[in-house]
Amino acid sequence: MKIEFWGQEFKVNLAIGIPGAFLIAIMSSMFGFGGGPFMVPLMAVGLRLPIYVIVGSSLLAIFFNTLMGTFRHYGFGNFDLIFFLIMFPAAILGGYIGPKIAKRLDPITVKRVACAGLLILALQLLGVF
Amino acid sequence: MKRVLTVITVLAVILSFSMVYAQKPEETKQPAKPVETKPAEVTQQAKPAEAVTVKVDKNQLSGGGKITITGKAPAGKDVYIEVWSERTVRAARLDADPDPKTGKRPYIFYMTDEMPGFYKLIIPEKYKSVLEEAKKEGKKWSVSKVIKDAGADAVYGYPAKIKIDRYQTSLWASIIGSRGQKLDPMDEKENKKRSMQLLKARFRSVGAIFSSNLKIEEDGSFKATVEIPSNAAPGKYFVVAKVDKDIKSEPVVVENSISFPSVYLPNAGRTVNVIWPFLLTAAITTFGVLMGAGGGFILNPILVMLGLPHTVVAGTVMPTVLFSQATGIYNYSKIKFISWKLGVTLGLAMLVGGFIGPKLTELITLDQYKFLFGWVLIILSALMLWQTTPKYLEKNKKEQAILKEFKKRAEEAAKKKQQGGK
Repeated sequence: MKIEFWGQEFKVNLAIGIPGAFLIAIMSSMFGFGGGPFMVPLMAVGLRLPIYVIVGSSLLAIFFNTLMGTFRHYGFGNFDLIFFLIMFPAAILGGYIGPKIAKRLDPITVKRVACAGLLILALQLLGVF
Repeated sequence: MKRVLTVITVLAVILSFSMVYAQKPEETKQPAKPVETKPAEVTQQAKPAEAVTVKVDKNQLSGGGKITITGKAPAGKDVYIEVWSERTVRAARLDADPDPKTGKRPYIFYMTDEMPGFYKLIIPEKYKSVLEEAKKEGKKWSVSKVIKDAGADAVYGYPAKIKIDRYQTSLWASIIGSRGQKLDPMDEKENKKRSMQLLKARFRSVGAIFSSNLKIEEDGSFKATVEIPSNAAPGKYFVVAKVDKDIKSEPVVVENSISFPSVYLPNAGRTVNVIWPFLLTAAITTFGVLMGAGGGFILNPILVMLGLPHTVVAGTVMPTVLFSQATGIYNYSKIKFISWKLGVTLGLAMLVGGFIGPKLTELITLDQYKFLFGWVLIILSALMLWQTTPKYLEKNKKEQAILKEFKKRAEEAAKKKQQGGK
């Protein structure tokens, strides 16, 4: 598939893109998150697209996943309204604070901290400690 | 004279027959009757030794607490106490264990919405070793084995009667996202057996279902304590002491109340203090935004580790990120920063995946969820580490510069358009 973006043309290999997006969607909707952290590397490395094409488009792609996942979870009765009402304003607050302090922090440090944090979380989930 | 005699004998025969037949229905009725009324008769038959009485030290709780249960049962008999909450939650389990005889996997999905949010079966102190043994078995312990070994089979009552639906699932059912074909209701015995498995699926640990702190004195008086945790559901709790199926006490009601900032999450089946999930979500989404992601993949495992059911966590966090994604798309679309063709194409593939994923959440157990999520997070942290390598950063720097340039241009164009439009 060919796409045009800001006057430039890109070739997108759908043989990688579609199965990859499909699998990421299954996995992320199963665990209950959007799938952005996996979609961005897929599109950057797998589809060889530049970052300025990815940021908006990946968000649009994962929106489909989140929308469908939300309906499905709701249909299965896994949605807790009160819990949602607690988390939703907090998420808005987080979205407001985040960009404000983003300028003062080094993104590489943030990523490394996140990396270590994720590893600890993963080992805890796996019952290593 | 002869006539009189024959009349008398005929009358006597008729009378005796009529007496026999008059009695017979009563006789045939009798074996059925005691079965129906036995419990009442046994307790009422002026045999106070057969009755069980139970008392609690308080009928009001606020945000959980300890209840001391005392009572009296016939001397020398084992007493068991069942405590359950009025509020119910969902429990589900996929039976995919191969049949020992045929080796076939049944793939039957059992589900109930009537599982009490809190259930405890208190067994006499002398069966303490049964619980300890079960604990040693780790995750493979069985509720039915504990109940059998503790001699509690006859007294295991409340959850045995809950309504359990079962569905025959299949790969196809999973793909089209249905729960599968609903099977006929189970008989009482099967329902009881499955209720034990669901009990384990919901409460998981031996200690969450059983306790052995029931002291029985020689004269039959007994004493036990039960702790209603602070995160338990509000509402009525029922306490019943039982000697066997028929000899049991009247239920005693204990009312648990909660007040703001504690709220009860009906689907998750627990009470939480609003402040903690709020702060946690705010902190993690802030951090998520810093990383350029939603943060759901950090929030979910933490919530699961805090003890919320994984199905509810996944089902509730997804709609939370939905709105931030929508605003993100709106903002990017305003400055023409979205390739609709690319986004929609990949999005449609994700739409199909998003249809299947939530179904899988329902089918897997908490342990499987943790295991899979653990590996997903390891892959994710590897991806993130790679994003901080010098080689990646070098490339990224150039791309970020291009991105900035494009964004600037886009915003300017959008502004111009707006001004022109006005």
